[in-house]
Amino acid sequence: MDHPETHVLLIEDNQGDADLVRLRLVEGRSRVRVDCVQRLSDALQALGKETPSLVLLDLNLPDSQGSETFRKVLEAAPNVPVVVLSGQDDEALAMKAVHQGVQDYLVKGDISSKQLERAMRYAVERQALLRSLEIARKQQLEFKNQFLSHVSHELRTPLTCIHQYVTLLLDGLAGPVAPEQSDHLKTVLKSVSQLHAMIRDLLEATRVESGMMRVEPRCVALGDLIQQAVTMMQPTAQAKQIGLEVGVDQRIPLVHADPDRILEVLINLTDNAIKFTPAEGAVIVKACLVETDPNMVYVSVTDTGRGIRPEAQSLIFERLYQDPDSVDNNRAGLGLGLFICKEVIRLHEGRIWVASEPGQGSTFTFTLPLYSLSKLLAPVITYQERLRPMFVLVRVELASLTNPPRGNWRETWLQCLETLRRCVYLDKDLVLPPMEASGPLETFFVVASTDMDRSQIMTTRIREQLERVVDLKTKGTLTITTMPVELGSVDLSQPLEKQVEAVAGAVTEMIMTTWEKKQWHAGSSGKHAN
Amino acid sequence: MRKPKILVVDDDPDLVRALRLRLRANNCEVITASDGYAVIAAAQKEHPDLILLDLGLPAGDGFVVLERLQASDTLSAIPVIVLTARDPQGNEERALKAGAAAFFQKPVDNDELLNVIRVSLPHRKAPEAPLMS
Repeated sequence: MDHPETHVLLIEDNQGDADLVRLRLVEGRSRVRVDCVQRLSDALQALGKETPSLVLLDLNLPDSQGSETFRKVLEAAPNVPVVVLSGQDDEALAMKAVHQGVQDYLVKGDISSKQLERAMRYAVERQALLRSLEIARKQQLEFKNQFLSHVSHELRTPLTCIHQYVTLLLDGLAGPVAPEQSDHLKTVLKSVSQLHAMIRDLLEATRVESGMMRVEPRCVALGDLIQQAVTMMQPTAQAKQIGLEVGVDQRIPLVHADPDRILEVLINLTDNAIKFTPAEGAVIVKACLVETDPNMVYVSVTDTGRGIRPEAQSLIFERLYQDPDSVDNNRAGLGLGLFICKEVIRLHEGRIWVASEPGQGSTFTFTLPLYSLSKLLAPVITYQERLRPMFVLVRVELASLTNPPRGNWRETWLQCLETLRRCVYLDKDLVLPPMEASGPLETFFVVASTDMDRSQIMTTRIREQLERVVDLKTKGTLTITTMPVELGSVDLSQPLEKQVEAVAGAVTEMIMTTWEKKQWHAGSSGKHAN
Repeated sequence: MRKPKILVVDDDPDLVRALRLRLRANNCEVITASDGYAVIAAAQKEHPDLILLDLGLPAGDGFVVLERLQASDTLSAIPVIVLTARDPQGNEERALKAGAAAFFQKPVDNDELLNVIRVSLPHRKAPEAPLMS
């Protein structure tokens, strides 16, 4: 049989060893092409240009030693089978290489052409098998995700119909409803909500698995968010006669988090705590700072429930985990809640864990990063490892015509924020995360990588777009002002990170000290939007 | 002042019926369409004050409808609220960019929907009594 040519990349710095291996190769195979390089850098370059059938690799090279060598080769060519050429005294290292993805190893000085031939053939076969398994696994995952996303979409359609008709009946739009009928309808509505939540969780879990879940962090006052979650859960707690309390340290600074997602996590943890706590127990939601971890806020939900067995504690965040002793087995849910919580927190670069003593209750704790302007600014104010040359701070002020604002003011300013984000270049301008608390005056800031002249184009666009926001026309006035960010305090000889911090400091100071309108750039005075 | 006229677009007749009842109870006039082609025809003929639009439609997907509405001189000013079973991720931003005033995933909270309809209606056509559920 006519074999296709085998292309071997031999990475070996000892000329004698290299010649010997080459000889054995030629003895064993008629159609073999051997390229030999002596340095890892040359090898990586060769792998970048052409994919060989196989790599024979000495681990100790002039520019790389030991495990570093095989790691770099595997990283550069993940689909190419690698056989390590090991010395007599470092078989342990060769074994480690095999554990980490190398196909086989041969001990130098002890290689026959038959052995080499066999090792190579098996390495190629095994690699091909692994690759096809990996492809099949990916296809399966993709199929499953598509299927689940399709199913959840299809389930929503009839569910929407049930929801609409039940609420029509409940609201008396199809004639009067007797109290008992109304009670039954409310039970239906409750089940509809549960079903809805399950469909949502199913889709969320699918997203987690395929790495598609997103979070949109803002500048958030965590205390408000906790209060909101607790207020929402209060009726559930009261129905079970469980005391639900908040213990938030008033000094906790703002956090950088997606408020909707964190609210989901808080509700999920509180709901679980209530579910697993007997009547007349207590649940407390706390937030505090921990001295040893100054960049994070710690949030915990503690209950006086029956606790979690030590062996279950490590499983509880796994997908589809169900507590086998659940008191409420008929409504146990899908076992996706904590799995989703874990992912949401991970995407915030926080951690989540549980501490529990059976019979004594449980405490679920998660951490969230503090709000840091320099962290947010870094990707937009730098370009190719350097600070962009000029910045302008744009202030957009929305004032409600009435105090307190009429109608859904929150909806109005959220619409404005959304519009504002569409007016800037996302890769070089940043709309600063707004404060969560909202009054009759909402102020947004944009750090724009531009100069004052060109910033006028941006402010004109912002004004035009915001004036189109339906609500603003009738409910508020719009004032846009601009001011250059003075970079005098930024030392360009400092590391980039320090420069970014200096810009963040300058911006913060501007926001603080120029709060008064009169100090802002003349010529861009306010204008009524209506 | 006349009642606001709302064009409800969905290919599920049962849902259309429920939405019609709900909107009528809230002092709106309701016209309906069940496919992409009919939306444009109904909008041209009836000049609704607002369109409630499903995305998965026969004869012209909701995005195509949005595009055609935006491209029309006479229809582009009509606010469109998207109400769909599709995932917000990937669809919400696209719909808003295509000109939708708001995006809701089914099932929707009625109060929330009515509220957004109310604020999206062109001011002079807002009903005298606020929309209430």
